[in-house]
Amino acid sequence: MLIGIDVGGTTTDAVLIQDGDVKRSAKVPTGRPQNLLKALLSALDAVSQDIAPEKLKRVVFSTTIITNLIAEGKTSPVALLLIPGPGRNPAEYKFPNSFLLKGAIDYRGREIQALEEREIKAVATHLKREGISKVAVISKFGQRNPSLEFRVKEIIEEEIPGSKVELGHRVSGKLNFPRRVATTMLASATKEQYGHFVSEIQKALFERKIKAPVYILKADGGTLPLEKSASLPVETIFSGPAASTMGALALTSEKESSVVVDIGGTTTDLALILSGKPLLASKGAKLAPYLTHVRAFAVRSLPVGGDSAVRLVKSREAKAEEKEEEEEKKTAKQPERQIRIGPDRAGPAYCQGGPEPTPTDALRVLGLSEIGDLDLAKEAISGLASELGKTEKESAALILNRAAELIATAIKDMYLEWEEEPAYRIWELLQEKKEKPKTVVGVGGGAKGLIERVAEKLGVNPLIPPHAEVGNAIGAAVARPTLTLNLHVDTERKEYSVAEKGEIVKLHRTGIKNINNMRSGEAEALAAKLLQARAESFGISEYAGEAELIRSEVFNMVRGWATVGRLFDVSMQIPAGLIPEWKGGEAK
Amino acid sequence: MKIGFANIKKVLKGEAKENKEKKALENNKPEEMEKKETLEASGVGEQQDMKPGYGKIRAEAKKKSEKTGLIFFPAFDWAISPTHPEREERLLYTRDQLFEEGLMDLPEIAEYKPRLAEYKDIARVHFCVPDVSAQATTPHLISAGCGLVLGDALMAGEIKNAFSLARPPGHHAMRVAHGNRGFCNINNEAILVEYLRKKYGIRKIAIVDTDVHHGDGTQEIFYHDPDVLFISFHQDGRTLYPGSGFMNELGGPRALARTINIPLPPATPDEGILHILDELVLPILKDFQPELIMNSAGQDNHYTDPLSNMRFSAQGYAKLNEKLAPDIAVLEGGYAIESALPYVNTGIILAMAGLDYSHVREPDYTSGMFVQASRDQEALETIISTQLENWDNRDFLTEEAFAKNEAFYRHRKNIFYDTDMIQEFQEESIRMCPKCQGYISIASTGQKSYKTTKIFGVSVPIYACKACQQEAFEEYKSKTHDLKYDYVYLQDKKADQYRAYNVKLRQETLL
Repeated sequence: MLIGIDVGGTTTDAVLIQDGDVKRSAKVPTGRPQNLLKALLSALDAVSQDIAPEKLKRVVFSTTIITNLIAEGKTSPVALLLIPGPGRNPAEYKFPNSFLLKGAIDYRGREIQALEEREIKAVATHLKREGISKVAVISKFGQRNPSLEFRVKEIIEEEIPGSKVELGHRVSGKLNFPRRVATTMLASATKEQYGHFVSEIQKALFERKIKAPVYILKADGGTLPLEKSASLPVETIFSGPAASTMGALALTSEKESSVVVDIGGTTTDLALILSGKPLLASKGAKLAPYLTHVRAFAVRSLPVGGDSAVRLVKSREAKAEEKEEEEEKKTAKQPERQIRIGPDRAGPAYCQGGPEPTPTDALRVLGLSEIGDLDLAKEAISGLASELGKTEKESAALILNRAAELIATAIKDMYLEWEEEPAYRIWELLQEKKEKPKTVVGVGGGAKGLIERVAEKLGVNPLIPPHAEVGNAIGAAVARPTLTLNLHVDTERKEYSVAEKGEIVKLHRTGIKNINNMRSGEAEALAAKLLQARAESFGISEYAGEAELIRSEVFNMVRGWATVGRLFDVSMQIPAGLIPEWKGGEAK
Repeated sequence: MKIGFANIKKVLKGEAKENKEKKALENNKPEEMEKKETLEASGVGEQQDMKPGYGKIRAEAKKKSEKTGLIFFPAFDWAISPTHPEREERLLYTRDQLFEEGLMDLPEIAEYKPRLAEYKDIARVHFCVPDVSAQATTPHLISAGCGLVLGDALMAGEIKNAFSLARPPGHHAMRVAHGNRGFCNINNEAILVEYLRKKYGIRKIAIVDTDVHHGDGTQEIFYHDPDVLFISFHQDGRTLYPGSGFMNELGGPRALARTINIPLPPATPDEGILHILDELVLPILKDFQPELIMNSAGQDNHYTDPLSNMRFSAQGYAKLNEKLAPDIAVLEGGYAIESALPYVNTGIILAMAGLDYSHVREPDYTSGMFVQASRDQEALETIISTQLENWDNRDFLTEEAFAKNEAFYRHRKNIFYDTDMIQEFQEESIRMCPKCQGYISIASTGQKSYKTTKIFGVSVPIYACKACQQEAFEEYKSKTHDLKYDYVYLQDKKADQYRAYNVKLRQETLL
């Protein structure tokens, strides 16, 4: 049996899956952020009570803990030691508590300026005085040569005993220094608290005698063993949207292309699944105000949900807000007042005792949902109806229409953004992105009643699969691990580096015979071997076979009209997908 | 070998009269030919006259945005040949530097996706032999298309300025394209100029060519066009490819001093180039008041460039772009792919986006490492005073030249295509029309080893008068019966119609 739990902002959902089918599901209010653990455990208990613990094969959580820690300012103070080298003026970076150090590495990993140890010691003395023990050291091109980062770490650990030093190249090997700074800073700031959270969960599971492997869901829809996650806490931000996307993947047929619409209380999250693969953001996730290197699905969140406040505004105001409406008004009769939905949530829906009318009330009035009190819902809508000069049902329909329109527009924008993503190669540009989804899949609580309208506006088919209301928890339960490996080989310097590991290895240790004549095939084989080893270290070697090559390029380095070496860049991944237990269950 | 620059002025003044083998041939009006087909009957449309003040669109659009548009198209899968300077690796380290800096994440930068230019966009500028597809392959269409995407974004007010960081380059490509010369097949800047004029009615455009090589292709295309000011500074043509770009190349009789060449002594550092910019380029631009300034942005003036001998730095390039403030910069040459390009490009982007570029420097650069030689400084002063004088006298020079010519101005040229080893012979004639800048006809023979291709092309300027348009059409028609030519072309920019006629097969294609 499998358990999946998704801790959302409003509710925490849990499912128990047996033989590929949902046996039990539960929804408990999440309550205040401090209650996160409590909500998680009560959802767990709700689906696992009177089940013998040894029958559980796998438990997966998705949590908002990192987001909460940051939002509540419960992170540890971190000093950033930056080694920027030439380029942008580092004074323009808006990172708190940062110190700029001399020293520089270039794009090939060559040291072009040395560190100044006295300068580092002076910073250390200052930090010691301030009582800061968490330090993040990030060098531009540190992933091509981490020696400066290592040396700074040595000095800091010497000067500040007991300090915890996080290195940029260990957190991400991708190009983009400011993102690496932000990601490393967040990793360093959340590690300790996240560690507490992990040990509390482990304690609670121990008390419940649950010995099944426990995983946590990452933003890229992959699972990570709980104990491993303690070293990579930022990977778990945004696991909420990832859970519902994986849920949609599990509940739709294989290889399908669809738009996933998760309508929650305050927001609607959108994601794309293309030929059975959720679309990843081309760059990392944004954790306001920081852009990070965290691999995440290309999700879009808009402030429209079941509990969004519905108000009437003067048409001009609405006109300024929504260009499309302008078009509509030219043709249709001009209503004096316009419906506006959100962006705020004043409280629960009126029909559930809230202060203002909401889309949930409209759904209730039209008989599309059973949530809340019908009379209250009618009362909520009647106020708007009299101002609009329409019946309650007509007004309710207008509200839903407006909400669907906002969602459909956001989906179109998302397509556009995907199509307009820059390309750097001729073949990439010639690949036309035509594969537009034919289905809108609704998951989450508010899907009913709205998905059909959204689909109609996009001219595609609506789909609300069974168990859609707990699709997110299902997604968590059946997601498989993901893993990436980015290999960079420089045959002139006779070394390679793996972005995810942050070490530079000499090529002669690989057993490749003629390094000067290394071929793409050999670079790809090396990447596959390294990925296998990395999968083993994460305890997920059974998935290594699912790895795919996503990029393999080679550049001849020509100096003075002769080839002096080659640069290879090979990227492999185990993409987001479902565990075989689920597919097996499907087959039955 | 060096010649004192002071002499050039004298030479130039003396030469102005008999220069360029221009011969006012007898009033060579096209004979009245039996013509059943008239201009109207063949469906040649007419371009509506642009309303005055169209250029204000650009000025208005400019106010709307604070962003710098950027297309980075390194063409990582294209090379002229494996070890050629124009190879896959050229922008690799630039990619690393730009991405590591996180420039694409900055709110000041908007990254755009390239598109392919259409054949018609190419035909608006070139007579491609035998046809557009032979000269403009996919990478060329993309590189030209990058400029068009940014031009559209600029005109839509989405961005305040733009940088097309794309390859392959284009500024050595001339109007007739028999093949590749100077790593270029088609001229990206010229294609953008004609596109903007056609689509948005922009009229006055200034192109400042900052590549170390003379932008001879761009110069040739706009040589007779008084609406396009072409300024090129480059290493002196006596010391570097393509061996042209001297001060006496001032433009055709109708556009004298709308071509301004600034041949710089080798080893000129930042100081000298920025001095030229302040004292010569910027004053002329201010006076010309273009609706759009384009930087034909080569990066091979750099002190480490393997193909040239200048002393320009990344800081110098950033300052140059800050001062010049081009609306759009288009990448040209620059082959110091490790020691210069990553830094130069970072500097240019930061400068165009209005960000601090003071920390951009090459690892081996120290300020003050290059000093302007005093002898060269004198040469620069001579260039400045000569060209300012020419600029001030431009109306007088044009009037004088026009008065001297009769119905046609004719001259002959030899053009060598270094990449493709083609020798081209051209005879160009420009109609000296009192009402417009006149149409251009070119008879051209391209020789590649034993193979010879003869073409004849007629080009009608976008703002040509109706009579010139009609006359040009008649000339095209008459040449289509002339078996001496393999291909005959009509480039009617006024009607935006482009005809190519295969004389042997008697087939016409229309774009």
